[in-house]
Parts: sequence; structure tokens; C-alpha cells
Amino acid sequence: MSMVDIDVSGDVFCSIVLETASTASYLKQGSSVTLVFKETEVSIGKNLTGLISLRNRFKATIKRIEKSDILTKVFLNYRDKEIVSIISTRSAQKLGLIIGDDVEWLVKTNEVSLLQEG
Amino acid sequence: MHDDLQPLLLTFQLAITVTAILFVLGLPLAYWIAFSKNRFKYIVETLVSMPLVLPPTVIGFYLLIVFSPQHFLGHFLETYLGIRVVFSFTGLVIGSVIFSLPFMVNPIKAGLQNFRHELIEASYVLGKSPWETLRRVILPNIKPALLTGIVMAFAHTIGEFGVVLMIGGNIPGETRLASIAIYNEVEALNYDTAGLYALVLVGISFFILLVFYYLNRKPLKIF
Amino acid sequence: MIKIRIKKEMHTPRGQEWLDIDLNIAKGEFVTVFGESGAGKTTLLRILAGLTQAQEGYIEIDGDVWFDSQKGINLPIQQRKIGFISQESSLFPHMTVRENLEYACSDKNALNSIEEWIITIGLKGLEAQRPDQISGGQKQRVALIRALIKQPKILLLDEPLSDLDIHARLNLQDEIIKVYQKTGITTILVSHDLSEVFRLSRKVFIIHRGKITKSGSPQEVFVNNDLSGKFKFTGEIIEIHKDGVLNILTLSIGNHVTKVVASDEEILGLTIGSKVIVASKAFNPLIFKA
Repeated sequence: MSMVDIDVSGDVFCSIVLETASTASYLKQGSSVTLVFKETEVSIGKNLTGLISLRNRFKATIKRIEKSDILTKVFLNYRDKEIVSIISTRSAQKLGLIIGDDVEWLVKTNEVSLLQEG
Repeated sequence: MHDDLQPLLLTFQLAITVTAILFVLGLPLAYWIAFSKNRFKYIVETLVSMPLVLPPTVIGFYLLIVFSPQHFLGHFLETYLGIRVVFSFTGLVIGSVIFSLPFMVNPIKAGLQNFRHELIEASYVLGKSPWETLRRVILPNIKPALLTGIVMAFAHTIGEFGVVLMIGGNIPGETRLASIAIYNEVEALNYDTAGLYALVLVGISFFILLVFYYLNRKPLKIF
Repeated sequence: MIKIRIKKEMHTPRGQEWLDIDLNIAKGEFVTVFGESGAGKTTLLRILAGLTQAQEGYIEIDGDVWFDSQKGINLPIQQRKIGFISQESSLFPHMTVRENLEYACSDKNALNSIEEWIITIGLKGLEAQRPDQISGGQKQRVALIRALIKQPKILLLDEPLSDLDIHARLNLQDEIIKVYQKTGITTILVSHDLSEVFRLSRKVFIIHRGKITKSGSPQEVFVNNDLSGKFKFTGEIIEIHKDGVLNILTLSIGNHVTKVVASDEEILGLTIGSKVIVASKAFNPLIFKA
């Protein structure tokens, strides 16, 4: 297993993968990778205080919201990239999410996959 | 020795000699036909099987011509080697060998062709020569085919008439076989003697085939 | 060191194809040649063994040239020191187990080693049996000893386990590992069973339509490197059902039908019948006893 730190325009993302440098050639300093994770694994926090175990937490702004009975899709603007989070509609209401809100989005390190580039 | 028994003894003497020669000759020939990749192989196969379709007298006729002292080969044999083929036991052997050839070669060929080739390859991989492989792997596994060849060649030689009459003639104690003797005795109206020969031939042929089919209850179907 | 550079025309159901191989195998290595049937795996082994001749090429084993089409060298099968085990049993049916082993011996040393081998491979008590009296797994064990007894330079295994049930197969894999550790013999295994490749070999060559398309450790070759997800299957979409902001895909994967959730963006360009790869982080799946 390896813990990989990835630099994304200045922010540091973490990913845990099963491979090691000896089994996967792309696991070396300097190689470019794409980070992949499922929208349903992305959480949203607003006015977060205190400590949290999640290391991947980054600031973003809400661009758009799509609601359905159970789930809500929240489109975020993160450093001019689009991040989508799918959370329960109940949570979205509790957080009082509206377009333009400044929030933080979070994803667990073990949910982040690495896609080798090229 | 009673003269009446002579044709019978001669017949079996011929059958044993011919079968022995055919086995020694037929095995390599069958092996070559079964495994050679020579593209003219089919010509040899055709020649070997010719006696199956030709009237025996045709083969006998040609042998008579070729081996007659007037002909080059017959002349050569008689002058330089002192061998006379026509109207002799030697002639009977040569004629019968040619005529019974397919009965020995075809069953053995089929046995070899049906033999699992991987076993031959396995033996080669283990460092064994083709000869050793034949002796220790192939032959022990194609016994039914070998037995079929031997029995068929033997039985067929006993029953031969046309070829041996043409090349051997009818010399008592030399070329008068049981099958020819029966014909003679009938011509001379000696039905008792003819009957004796016929009965002995039937009895012995039946016995040989009976033992063969008993030993070899799953014989190869060749013919 | 084994150097193989060969070209051979193959007649396949797809038409004429060329087996065109260029590979080196280090002395003492255990390698697998992996590929679908008709790819040329068996032909490659047969050419090495001398059972089939390549149209052109060069084969060198530990400095000895076995085949060189330019110089007209083609060492006879008998002189190539090989152990060969095929899929079907190639034991001689008229010989007992012991006679089969004795047949392979060319000297006293080999004869003396029979007993030791019989104990190592666990065939004690079967020496007097004939091949049709023992099981498929036992037959292949006898074949394994028979192949090794004259101390070949390479051991060629042509899917020797594929006709066996899973239990016998695992057992024989153990024996092969044991034999390899004991003798250190250079071994080439032809296989299309992934677990076998992972279990036995450290290096694998993927052969596709007569050409080697990939090589490396089983890890490198089979565990797809482009996606770090270890939990990964290929399936086909049989239904797409939109549910709120998400979609529920019904997939056929192997013999199973399963459902997966996907966003609109994920299924862009996908329709029913599309082939998809379903991957998840290895952390997610829950395991229950079946």
C-alpha cells in the first residue's frame, strides 16, 4: 500500500492505493496522474470548525444545485474546475445550501483513485 | 511319409515361410507408408494394394514371364546364382509374398496410423531413437494390428490358388500345394483324397481364425 | 540463457498468421507464455522442443545452438535436453509407473534417482500401477518426474494442468513449485489460467496472434496500471434507469447481473450494450462467506 501526495494547482491531495512503487511504474515523484473519485463520495461542509480526519478538504463556491426527492447534486467551482457532490436532499436543506455559498468539499483518501496519464 | 499328406505339409511350410518374410518386409513398409511425408507415397500404397483387386492369374502370369529363363532377370538368376524361380518352391514363396503383401501391410499401417502420435513424440523427447521407440513403445501397443497382419497373411497364403498354379505349376513334393492338389484329385475323380484335403484346410483355417478372434476380441476392422 | 528468434507460418481459423517471436529467458527463470488458444503458444513450445520446425530463426540454449536456419543447424529432438509435459497424459499405456520412469533413464545415476523422485513427488505405492489405473493428477506427476529424471536443460509445460479438477490442479502447482525450487530448472509454462500464472511464474509473456504483445511480472502485465482501482470488472450495460439526479445501471458481468449507480456525466456516450469497466477502490467491497 502507498500513501500518495498529489499537487493540484498548489493544493495537496492524498490518495491511498494498494500498489507500491515496485508494482506500479507510475508511482514515482514527478509523474502526472488524474485523480478520480465518485460524486457520491464527495461531502460538503459549511463553516467547518474543530478537527476532522479527512485530509482532502478544499474551498469552493456553489455554482448550481439540482434537487430530487432523495438526493441533491451540488456543482462546485473549485479553482475553475467543476466538482460535483451528491448528498442527501435532507442534508442539503439542513446546510441551507444556496448558489454562491462558500463551502468546503471533502473526500476520503481511500476513495481517491489515480489514473495514469498518457 | 504318406504321399497324400505332402501337399498339406508343403502348404503350411509355404504359409509359415511367406508369413515370416512378409512380417520382416511388411513392418518397415507399413512404417514408411504410415509416417513418411514423401509426396509419392500414394503410388507405393497403390502398388501394395494391387493384389487385392487383380485376378491372381494376372500376377502369376507376369511373374512367370519375368522369371522365365528366357527373360533377363530369370536368365541372370539361373546363370549366375543358380536359382530357378519358375516351377519351384522359391517361385511359390515369391509369388505368395507379393500376393499376400496387402494383407500384412494394411493392418499394420492402420495400427501405426491410429497410434497416438504424442506417445511417439514423448519417446523422442526422452531421447529415444525412432528404432527404440518402434521396438519399445509402438510395437507393444499395436499388437492387435500385428496379429491381424500375421493371421491374415498366413490364412490368405493357405488359400492361394491362381498365382501359385501359374508360377509353381504342379510338381509333387515341390510345388503341389493342397489347393492345387484338390483340383487335381477332382479332375482325376479321386473325391476321397480331395475331400480329405478340403476338410483339413477348412478345419485348420477355422481353427486359426477362431484362436485369432478369441485372443483379439476387438480386432481392427481393415477389410 | 535462452535466446529464441523464430518465424513460422500458422494456419488458424482466422486464416494465415505468422508466429513471430523474439525473446530471451534467463537461466533458471520460471516464465509463463499466456494467451488465448490459437495464439501460437503450443507451436512455440513445439519449436523449442524440435517437434515442429520454424521456417526461419535461431534458438540458443546456454550457448549451444539448437536451431539456426541460416547455417542449416537443426538439432534432433533426441539431442535437445528438454523435459516436455503436455495437456494430455503422454505416459506409455503398456508400462507401469516405474517402467515409464525407467524408460526415461539413460544411465545408472538416473535409475538411482527414481526412488528419491517417487518420494519427493508423493507417488510411493503407485509404482506397479499402469497409467489407466491412476488419476489424472497422478499421471501428470509421473510425467513430471519422467521429464526431469534425465536432467534436462529446460522444462516445457504445455498446459499440463488444464484437464485437472481444481483440487488436483492446486496440488500439482505445489509440486511444480517444489520441483522448480529443488532443481532450479529453467521452466516455460504455457497457460491461459490467470491464477496459475500469478502463482507459478515471475515473468509472463502475453502472446496474441503469434506476437508477443506484453511482458513483465504478472503484476505489471495483468493488474492494469492506468487505474489504481483493484476491484475491477468488464461488463455490458443491459439497462439504464434514471432515478433523480443519478442513474442506476444494470450490468451483466461474467455470469452475474448487477446494479451500479452512475452520474449523468459518467454515462455520457454510453448506451445499452456498451462495454464498460466497473472499478472501485479495493477498500470498498464488503466480503461475506459464500
